[in-house]
Amino acid sequence: MADDQALEAWFCEHVLPLERALTSFIRRNWRAEDEVQDLRHDVYAMAIAGARKEFPADSRAYVFAITRNHLINRAKRAQIVSFDHVVDLEHVDPRIDMLAFERQLSAREELRRFQIGLDLLSPRIREVVLLRKVEGLDARQTASRMGIGIDAVNRQLAMGMKALADFMLGGTGKVIRQSASRRSTRRNRP
Amino acid sequence: MSSRARDAHDQAADWLVRRQNPEWSVRDQADFDFWLNASDGNKAAYWRLKHSWDRADRIRALGLRSNTTRALFGKWIGGVAAAILVMIMGASYFVWPQFSAIHPVETRIFQTAVGGHEQLILAEGSKVELNTGSSLRTAISGRGREVWLEKGEAYFEVTHAPDHPFVVHAGDHKVTVLGTKFAVRRDNGKVVVSVVEGRVQLADDKEGHTSRLSILARGDRAVAQGNTTLVSSQPVGQIENALSWRSGMLTFDATPLEDVAAEFNRYNRVQILIVDPQAKLIPVGGRFPASKAEAFTRLLHDAYGLKVEVGASQIKVSR
Repeated sequence: MADDQALEAWFCEHVLPLERALTSFIRRNWRAEDEVQDLRHDVYAMAIAGARKEFPADSRAYVFAITRNHLINRAKRAQIVSFDHVVDLEHVDPRIDMLAFERQLSAREELRRFQIGLDLLSPRIREVVLLRKVEGLDARQTASRMGIGIDAVNRQLAMGMKALADFMLGGTGKVIRQSASRRSTRRNRP
Repeated sequence: MSSRARDAHDQAADWLVRRQNPEWSVRDQADFDFWLNASDGNKAAYWRLKHSWDRADRIRALGLRSNTTRALFGKWIGGVAAAILVMIMGASYFVWPQFSAIHPVETRIFQTAVGGHEQLILAEGSKVELNTGSSLRTAISGRGREVWLEKGEAYFEVTHAPDHPFVVHAGDHKVTVLGTKFAVRRDNGKVVVSVVEGRVQLADDKEGHTSRLSILARGDRAVAQGNTTLVSSQPVGQIENALSWRSGMLTFDATPLEDVAAEFNRYNRVQILIVDPQAKLIPVGGRFPASKAEAFTRLLHDAYGLKVEVGASQIKVSR
């Protein structure tokens, strides 16, 4: 059985780089656009569960196989079952998505993606991220520097973290704003 | 509608933020461990955010400064457009430093296999989507932005930069853009440019001589072949239909079956062959998943009574 540290290393090194290809694959084989993120999330959880027993030899094939089976199972369980949809899914060959041109980003390219991702953040969130990362200020120091409350700083930071992760792993990094009642007003579309 | 992913990520982000702060107690650690071990979904969300956040430590290498410590440079103008994919970059020191520092010219080649679909971001922020069987060479530097569509089809969303026009070379033609959304498709000697938003300039470009300029705007579609360029103005819906490949679909409107088959064949290794001369002319309309050639031929059987023989590398359609 693998321990959590090994699992985390495996997940970050072998599964997260697939995020962009995986998201395209799900999007192209699932009718409801707003369920794509949840499906991907399910796949990640299942991949971790399986890898805990034994690390796969080919992580990429493993993750795509999980995805395909998950989509098929969900389609069968959906309240409005579309027979065509299920039949088509069973004929889907994920190899095309797997073969799609994928490179590991070089350090320089990653930095550049980062800059672009930062630019996509709202000015306030960007400021909080920079103060934290470049100047190493904690929440209290950031709050006093920016003249806002600590809770606001933490909220901005949380939003920045999520948006940056989405962007770095291949999406658009749109930031969701949550009202005080924690209900989002816009959908995050990676 | 609840979102498993969103809830898990909201919680994960909150935990990640709390762990950044110095007041982290034994109790906090216990609560965190409990949450993390509650589900593999929580682990996935937390590890995902943490991984990207840790890589952000390299931000220091970018030499960036936060706003409050850069009073000298004045308030920067960085805009974030509400629209999902257009990036309007203000001409500010902060936004462009890496761009002018990009030298020497960086050349990259991007390719997709048959049935492939790839999304890229170029060094200066422009987004490119490559369709099936395409090849794009890019050369982005501090002085200019040029790409060569060597084969296939690409959709561009170009960041606005008045001092650095973006040029797409396609065969003997060249498309010059300031900042806009458009697609270029190359089919042997024919080049098709479709403009979704903004304006582009299309010109013949043989051996460095640029001639015969046309300006295309939103809704225009130009077909350039040899010495002829034909520009037509289309209802925006029709331009979007030609680009439905971006969501994996092919759209047809009274298109002869022969042309429909040819279009499917761009996206699939197994090729559809229409044998019967009259069947070739059957007009087809509708929207179909590009990768499902066989399913499409089954529809032909059901709808028109055509005979479909599925082989290893070919699907023969006859009467």
